[in-house]
Amino acid sequence: MSSDVRFTDFKSDKQPTWCPGCGDFGTMNGMMKALAETGNDPDNTFVVAGIGCSGKIGTYMHSYALHGVHGRALPVGQGVKMSRPDIEVMVAGGDGDGYSIGAGHFVHAVRRNVDMTYVVMDNRIYGLTKGQASPTSRSDFETSTTPEGPKQPPVNPLALALASGASFIAQSFASDALRHQEIVQKAIEHDGFGFVNVFSPCVTFNDVDTYDYFRDSLVDLQEDEDHDPNDYEAAKEVILDGEKEYQGVMYQDENSVPYHEQHGVTENMSEIPDGAPEDAMDLVREFY
Amino acid sequence: MAEDLNWAIGGEAGDGIDSTGKIFAQALSRAGRHVFTSKDFASRIRGGYTAYKIRTSVNEVQSVVDRLDILVALTQRTIDENLDELHEGSAIIYDGERSWDADIPEETKGIDVPLKSLAEDAGGAIMRNIVALGAACEITGFDVEYLDESLEKRFGGKGTQIVENNKEAARLGQEYVQENYDVGDLGYDLETTDNDYVLLNGNEAIGMGAIAAGCRFYAGYPITPATSIMEYLTGRIEDYGGHVVQAEDELSAINMSLGAARAGARSMTATSGAGIDLMTETFGLVATSETPLVIADVQRSGPSTGMPTKQEQGDLNMALYGGHGEVPRFVVAPTSITECFWKTVEAFNLAEKYQTPVFLVSDLALSVTEQTFPPEAFDMDAVEIDRGKLVDDDEVEEWLDGQGRFRAHAATEDGVSPRAIPGMTDGAHMSTGLEHDELGRRTEEQEIRVQQVDKRNRKVETAKDEETWDYREFGDENADNLVISWGSNEGALVEALEYLEDEGVDVRVISVPYIFPRPDLTDEIEAAEETIVVECNATGQFADVLEHDVLTRVKRINKYTGVRFKADELAEEITTKLAEEVPAQ
Repeated sequence: MSSDVRFTDFKSDKQPTWCPGCGDFGTMNGMMKALAETGNDPDNTFVVAGIGCSGKIGTYMHSYALHGVHGRALPVGQGVKMSRPDIEVMVAGGDGDGYSIGAGHFVHAVRRNVDMTYVVMDNRIYGLTKGQASPTSRSDFETSTTPEGPKQPPVNPLALALASGASFIAQSFASDALRHQEIVQKAIEHDGFGFVNVFSPCVTFNDVDTYDYFRDSLVDLQEDEDHDPNDYEAAKEVILDGEKEYQGVMYQDENSVPYHEQHGVTENMSEIPDGAPEDAMDLVREFY
Repeated sequence: MAEDLNWAIGGEAGDGIDSTGKIFAQALSRAGRHVFTSKDFASRIRGGYTAYKIRTSVNEVQSVVDRLDILVALTQRTIDENLDELHEGSAIIYDGERSWDADIPEETKGIDVPLKSLAEDAGGAIMRNIVALGAACEITGFDVEYLDESLEKRFGGKGTQIVENNKEAARLGQEYVQENYDVGDLGYDLETTDNDYVLLNGNEAIGMGAIAAGCRFYAGYPITPATSIMEYLTGRIEDYGGHVVQAEDELSAINMSLGAARAGARSMTATSGAGIDLMTETFGLVATSETPLVIADVQRSGPSTGMPTKQEQGDLNMALYGGHGEVPRFVVAPTSITECFWKTVEAFNLAEKYQTPVFLVSDLALSVTEQTFPPEAFDMDAVEIDRGKLVDDDEVEEWLDGQGRFRAHAATEDGVSPRAIPGMTDGAHMSTGLEHDELGRRTEEQEIRVQQVDKRNRKVETAKDEETWDYREFGDENADNLVISWGSNEGALVEALEYLEDEGVDVRVISVPYIFPRPDLTDEIEAAEETIVVECNATGQFADVLEHDVLTRVKRINKYTGVRFKADELAEEITTKLAEEVPAQ
C-alpha cells in the first residue's frame, strides 16, 4: 500500500452522467477521499455497486469493481471479503437497491458483521426510472406511481440496522463534504460492517427532501448533541426519534467482532495448489 | 446376473431408518461386497413412511431392482408399500410384541423377533434396529462381527459402552433367529471378499471433487436434495483454507459465490428446485461479467414445490436456456457417482479456462444413492488444475491499453480475456452486467456490443474445439437398437443390458454427460435402426434436443412418477418400446 495515493487515483476517466447538482457527486467524492485517507489504493480495493443512479458509481470510480444485479450488491461484497480478507471492500447503492429489492440482504449482511463498508445514497426517490416512490419516500409523497403518496410509513434504515444487530450505524449528508468523508472514514476503520446512510438529494425528481431541507433540519450529533456512539440506549433514542433527523455516527459497538474473526476465515482463497491438496486421499479414505 | 441380495429397512421418519441402513451398508462394504443403496423418504421429520434399501453383490451393482429379499419392517405400512417386490423366499423381520398385528404375506417367511425386548436386554430400546441387523445377519449367513466396525464408526463418539451395547444388541438378534428359526431353506449365504471399497453418494462425491479441484468458497441455502453438498463441505473445506456460508436465500448464495469468484477464489453454489429459479436472476451477470462460477443443480421433482424428495430430470431446459437474453454457458451432467467427482473437477477447470458459468446438473437419485467403489476410482493424483488465463503481476502489464488500463474483457482471438484479481498491481478494473467495452465500461455502441457478444460466444466455440465432449458407451457397439440417456439413468441401463441380453435383444447404450456443448450423435443415431431416449421427465427434454440436432424422430421412455428407473423395469420398457412403430418423421 503506497502512502502517496491520492483520492483522484480512485477516479475513473468516465465523466458521471448524474444530473448536475446530484447528491451522488458529493457522496462519491467523500468515499474516494475516505478510501485514500485510510491508506487504500485502487488495486487493493473492491467496490460493488447496485442498480440505479447510485449504481453507476462503479463506473466513475477506479478500483476492482463489480456492478451487478439489482439489490444483490451486499452478497457480492460479502463474497469478496470472505474469500479475500486482505482486500478493502466497499458496497454502494441506493435506497431502492438496499431497502426495497435488497432489504433481505441488508438485514443479514448487518447480522454477519463482515468487515466492509456499506454506503447507501438515500435520495428517497427512484431517479433512474424517472420518479417513483422509494422505500424511504414520505407517506404523502406524490409520484407517478403513487399519485396520492405511498400511504405507508417510510422504512427507517437506521432502525432496521439496529434491530438486525448492527455494530456501526451512521448517517451523513452529501453536501456536508467534510463530515461525510469523516463518517465514511470511520465506517471503513470500524472492525465490522460499517453502515452509512447518506442523504444524497435528487434535484430532478424530489422536491421535498432537498438540499435546503437537509441543510435546515439536519442535527449534527457530534457538534450539536455531544452524542456518545458507544451508548446503545442513546443510539436507540436518536435512531427512533420521529421528529428530528441526524447526521453523525449513531452507534458503534466497541466490542465488535468481525465475521472473519468469528469464523476464523483469514486465508487469501485465491491461492490454490496445482493439483489436489497433498493429503486429499484422506478424504476418500473417510468413506471406508 | 450377479448373485445379488436386496435388503431393506422401513418405518416412520424418526425411526433411525437411515442410520441403521447405513450401518449395514458399511458392514457389507467392509466385507468386500459391492453395495448400492436407495432411499424412499418424505419431506417430513416424523411419521409417514421411509425406507433404506440395499442391493449387494460381490460384483458391481449400480441399480435398484424390483425385488426385495429381506425386509425389516417396523410398521405395517413398510410391508404394504413393498408387496410388489416381495416374493416366495423373502423374509420379513418384525417385532410381534409391538402393538400392531403384522400382516405377513403368505408366500413370505415372517421372522418374529422381539426387537424391543432384546434391545432392552442389551441396554436400551433405542437399539432395536441393531437387533434387527443382527437378525438379518443370521438370515443372510453374514457374520455378525462385520457389523462391529461400522457400529464403532457410528457410535464411537458416544463412548465405548454404547458401542459395546450395540454389538451385544446385534448378537442377541442373531442368536434369537439362530435359536428360534430355521432359515437355511431361504438359501441366503453372503460371500465376502478381501476387496477394499469406499461407500459414498453423489453429493459427497461432488463435495469431495470440489475440494480436490481447489474450491475454497461455497455459499448456499439449504434445500433438499442439494443440502448434503453443503454439509459435506462444512467442517472439511476449512482444513484447506476454505469457507462455507449459509446465505439468507439463493439470490444471496449465488451472488456471494460470484463475489468470491471475482476475488479469485474457486467458488461454487448448489441448489435444487425453486432455488435454481432464484439463481437464474444472476446467470446473465455471471456470463456477462465473465466470472468463473460452478452452479450445481441437484434436480428434484417439480414444477414449483413439486415432490421435493422425489427423483426427476426436469431441469434440462432450464440449465440450457434459463435466464433472459442469450447466456453463454456450459452444462455438464454427471452420469454416475464417480462421475459426480470427476465432472466437478472438470467443471472448475472449464469455469476458469473460459470464465463462464458451468452448470453441474445432477439429480436426486445420484445425490442420495450410496455406492461402493475401489478408492482408486477417486485417484487424487489424477486431478489436474487449469486456471486458464489468470495472469500474474508481470503479465498484467501486457494487457494494459495505451493509458495503462487493464483490458479485462479484451476481445481476443479465442474469446478468452486475461483475468486479473484484486491485489494485482495495475489490474484494477470494473466488470458489469451492463454491456461494456474491453475495459468493462458501460457502452451501447453497436460495434462494441457486437464485438463483446461475439467474443463471449467465441469462448464456447473455442471450448468446443479444444475440449473433449464425449459420451460413455455400453453394450453392443454394432447393435441396431440404440438407447441414449443422460444423468443418473446410466447404472440402471447398464444393468438392463444383462436382462435384455437374456432375451436376445442387442442394445447399444450411449450415456451423455455433456448437455452443452454436447457430442454430435448424428452418425450414431443414423446408424441405428431404432433410437430410444430414456429420461426421468414427462416431455422428453433431452430427446427434443437430440431430435433438433439430428433432424430425425426418436422414441422416448419417460418416467415422472418420482421414482428412479430400475434395471429390470427399464429392460421391459425397452423391449416394449422397440416393438412399437417408429414415430413419423
